[in-house]
Amino acid sequence: MKRFFARNAPAYVFLLPWLIGFFLLALGPILASLYLSFTRYDMVSAPRWIGWGNYEYMFTRDRRFWKALEVTFTYVALAVPARLIMALGVAMLLDKGLRTIGLYRAIFYLPSLLGASIAIAILWRQLFAADGVVNQVLAMVGIQGASWITDPDTSLYTLVVLAMWQFGSPMLIFLAGLRGIPRDLYEAAEIDGTPRWRQFTRITLPLLAPVIFFNLVLQTIDSFKTFSSAFIISNGTGAPADSLLFYTVYLFNEAFKFFRMGYASALAWFLLVIIATFTAIAFFTSKYWVHYENERD
Amino acid sequence: MTRLTRRALLGTIGAAAAASTLPATPIFAADRSIRHYWWGNPERDKRTFAVIDTFQKKNAGIAVSGETIGWGDYWTKMATQTAGRNMADLVQMDYRFLFEYVHRGALKPLDEFVGKSLMIADFDKGPLDGGKVDGKLYALNIGSNSQVMVHNTRAFKEAGIDADLINWTWDDFGKVCEKITAKSGGKMKGSDDLSLMIETFESWVRQNGREFYGPEGKVTATAEDVASWWQMWADLRKAGVVRDKNKTVILDPPIAESGIAVGDTAMSHYWSNQMVGIQAVAKDKIGAAMVPHKAGGKPGQFIKPSMFLSLSRDAKDTEAAIAYMNAWVNDPEISGILGLERGIPCSPKVRAALTPKLTEVEKLSVDYFTAIQSKVGPLPLPAPKGAGEVRDAFMRIGTDVVLGKAEVAEAAGMFIEDAQTIVERAQ
Repeated sequence: MKRFFARNAPAYVFLLPWLIGFFLLALGPILASLYLSFTRYDMVSAPRWIGWGNYEYMFTRDRRFWKALEVTFTYVALAVPARLIMALGVAMLLDKGLRTIGLYRAIFYLPSLLGASIAIAILWRQLFAADGVVNQVLAMVGIQGASWITDPDTSLYTLVVLAMWQFGSPMLIFLAGLRGIPRDLYEAAEIDGTPRWRQFTRITLPLLAPVIFFNLVLQTIDSFKTFSSAFIISNGTGAPADSLLFYTVYLFNEAFKFFRMGYASALAWFLLVIIATFTAIAFFTSKYWVHYENERD
Repeated sequence: MTRLTRRALLGTIGAAAAASTLPATPIFAADRSIRHYWWGNPERDKRTFAVIDTFQKKNAGIAVSGETIGWGDYWTKMATQTAGRNMADLVQMDYRFLFEYVHRGALKPLDEFVGKSLMIADFDKGPLDGGKVDGKLYALNIGSNSQVMVHNTRAFKEAGIDADLINWTWDDFGKVCEKITAKSGGKMKGSDDLSLMIETFESWVRQNGREFYGPEGKVTATAEDVASWWQMWADLRKAGVVRDKNKTVILDPPIAESGIAVGDTAMSHYWSNQMVGIQAVAKDKIGAAMVPHKAGGKPGQFIKPSMFLSLSRDAKDTEAAIAYMNAWVNDPEISGILGLERGIPCSPKVRAALTPKLTEVEKLSVDYFTAIQSKVGPLPLPAPKGAGEVRDAFMRIGTDVVLGKAEVAEAAGMFIEDAQTIVERAQ
């Protein structure tokens, strides 16, 4: 015990600001929302206990809940791999020892900083509108573009593209990971005449596995929580025809538009369960595909 | 979105200074402030801030801060503020939402002020009673309006349209759409596609002899009502005489992006008090037509209180808030600034004072109002809790129909089913 503190005390000191914030600002509302999820609460009159009522309605009668799950899962399944591949690709391009690397890193990181902002979401809506820039460019090469945002068949993909474009933070982490791979391994492979592709699959990927794992978990959690871009692009409603009804957008609407705080709390807790499950799966399977080079005891 | 007026700002700074040097002195106590929250458009905001300035000039010591936002976000923000116990003292209220807010206990009744600080004895009884819930006055009418088909008079003239726009039918409407589209070579369509406009659909249901919501808030519109409505627009879309479907599915666009303003279409559905705002952004002169009638049907349109001022539960200085409210409906200078932008006022005195000073478009709305008096039906019963969500469902399911992804009859049945569930669940 004593040793534990001696070893970890500095870490806790550094964590202190976050811990204080968590206990003072976050824990209370989190517990309150757990309680509220078992009530009917319209934010004006007092909450009324209804047991499992909210959860029951959610699973048995709420068509939009299932639609929201479908939209969100489709998005996560597409956006996470797309963003990770993009991030890894760019990271490998930048890992060539360019002299101006710092500049490029900053430039490529920029979309990540801007991507979650309202301004970019509005810009995105303009870009992909029926008479937007994307279609004007397509028209130049003689392609009649769809009405990307207002067509329920394509609206979700515009958001996947937006997600891909925000590859900055996983890219930086990949870049750091790539730098950590010993050069002599590649030199040895080079001498043996191993083709580039095999170098990638046999050296880069296995040694990068811990970093890939880290990015995968982080990006999955992030993608499940996507809100502002979907909210703005769908006008806050999940339109067109609920094709952008992200789980969080649905939750927000239930809470702040239709006054069903209790139900929205239940939705929030179920989202937590989903995210926890996915993270657990990732951690559980990781021992089969993630190998750490310098594992200690 | 919040604009503090100069006076309010100075007042706040002054109060802060006073508070820091002389805590709890009478100076601080005398500095009163109220918040007024409304949904607006540029024209309305300009007029409302002018009203605030005028009121503050006449009532030194009361600072009014105005908060404005578009209709699309208004109710979300209001719900958030209601939840946070931080509602503005005075909120602009809509007939559709009034009952929801009253039943949630978010508004205070005004009866105790009537005749003392709120002088409304000589106001029109009908429009005034629209603000009553369970026999108590919760909302003060600040204008009445009715549905209107706003149209582009230049396009109508060029296409040689001579239909009687007060007594016309849906058949006439279809023909007008054809003519205008043909005349412009397809560049200007006859009308916006109103498939998703539940406000116009409501008139359609009434023309069929039913109300959308019957007694006790039950959904009394039928799947046939919905199917016939969506089918009519599907036919017009097929004929190519209404606005592009990709524009139609953009929900609640700002007035500046409407077909009338952009010049895409020659007609659209609005509330009559919006005409001032539309004319401000439209290139051509606008005209007013009634929502087309159903041959042999009942009157669909009605005259409704367009907007109310309500006193919120969170109002602290009710005396100042009521003084402001009273000035809104009685002060000649203030009603002169407001004009008819929020609808036709229900004070005969104010109306008489306004008449000689009306602008062209205001005169248009007064004339329209006079012309429709005998053509409208009674005010429908108040919408039940959940009406806002039903509106969303109508647009959501209708979008699939407009885009040709759902079959009309099936979608119509689904909407009625959803609407019933929503209303039941909201009670």
